[in-house]
Amino acid sequence: MGPGAAAAAVHAADATGLRPLNERDPDAELVARVGEQDQAAVRTLVARKLPRLLALATRMLGDRMEAEDVAQEAFVRIWKQAPRWKEGEARFDTWIHRVALNLCYDRLRGRREDPVADLPDEADPRALPDQQLEARVRDERVREALAALPARQREALVLNYYQELSNIEAAALMGITVDALESLLARARRNLRAQLAGSGFSKDTP
Amino acid sequence: MTPERFQTIVDAYGADPRRWPQEERAAAEAWAELHRSEADAALAEPASIDAWLASHTIAPPPRALVERVVATAPVRGPFRQGGRLWWQGAAFAGIGLAGGLTGAFAVSFFVLTSTPPSVHDASYVTSSFGGSTADWSGE
Repeated sequence: MGPGAAAAAVHAADATGLRPLNERDPDAELVARVGEQDQAAVRTLVARKLPRLLALATRMLGDRMEAEDVAQEAFVRIWKQAPRWKEGEARFDTWIHRVALNLCYDRLRGRREDPVADLPDEADPRALPDQQLEARVRDERVREALAALPARQREALVLNYYQELSNIEAAALMGITVDALESLLARARRNLRAQLAGSGFSKDTP
Repeated sequence: MTPERFQTIVDAYGADPRRWPQEERAAAEAWAELHRSEADAALAEPASIDAWLASHTIAPPPRALVERVVATAPVRGPFRQGGRLWWQGAAFAGIGLAGGLTGAFAVSFFVLTSTPPSVHDASYVTSSFGGSTADWSGE
């Protein structure tokens, strides 16, 4: 790794925003142990990254079963890459987001129908107490609104809001400038606001 | 930080400073402190969208999925571990075999040693008569 790449890596790490500003990739040591087929490290990495990748894929695809398949496939690639992983080229967390997003796009491209139609059936809301029912209805409404967004807007929002990647990381992942990312994010939020307004959304009832 | 830039930031990244661009966060927060009412007006709608987004939760991965994923990881050195297991297996087989042999030997020993008392009895009996035999031989 050259000094330029090192500086870029440090800059990228500095720009992570929501994490401690470490120069080192926080996952590097664990990934190295996974590369040596350390079973305890394997379990730790799965505990650390599976919920994150599952959340990413579920929100991108709007389908839990497909998301579980994507998360599992992503880990198969992680196991292959771990012995060759070099710290400094990219953060490991960013790389696994790229892997999972590619797998999501493979599936989205394979779809003909509206992704909203793919949403799995929910449990009977009549069986739930009022408070849970309210939360379920709200959750469902947001899920539908997310699923109805254009894929790139959804990707920008999921990366920035839910996955809490920095603007620089998210833009790099999507292969766009930070300005373009900001534009996608603003459009995604405008669209959401319009959709949620159409389904009884108001400022007073989040 | 200009009012326009502050508006652009919250329209894109929402109301929570944690999601704002790191290099502009301090300046944007400082601007909001100085222009509280303007900032609050700009933050209201992004905050309500944030709250809506936060209500969409994802259930954690079930245990079965965790185990499925862990099971796809390669185990340490298939050859080394296989070899080690083979040796361990052979060792266990050897111990088992040794145990079996010991047991068999012990059983055969007891079978063998269970006979001598009768032999002894016989010899005792014999010897009781043997004495007389000796006596006879002494004749």
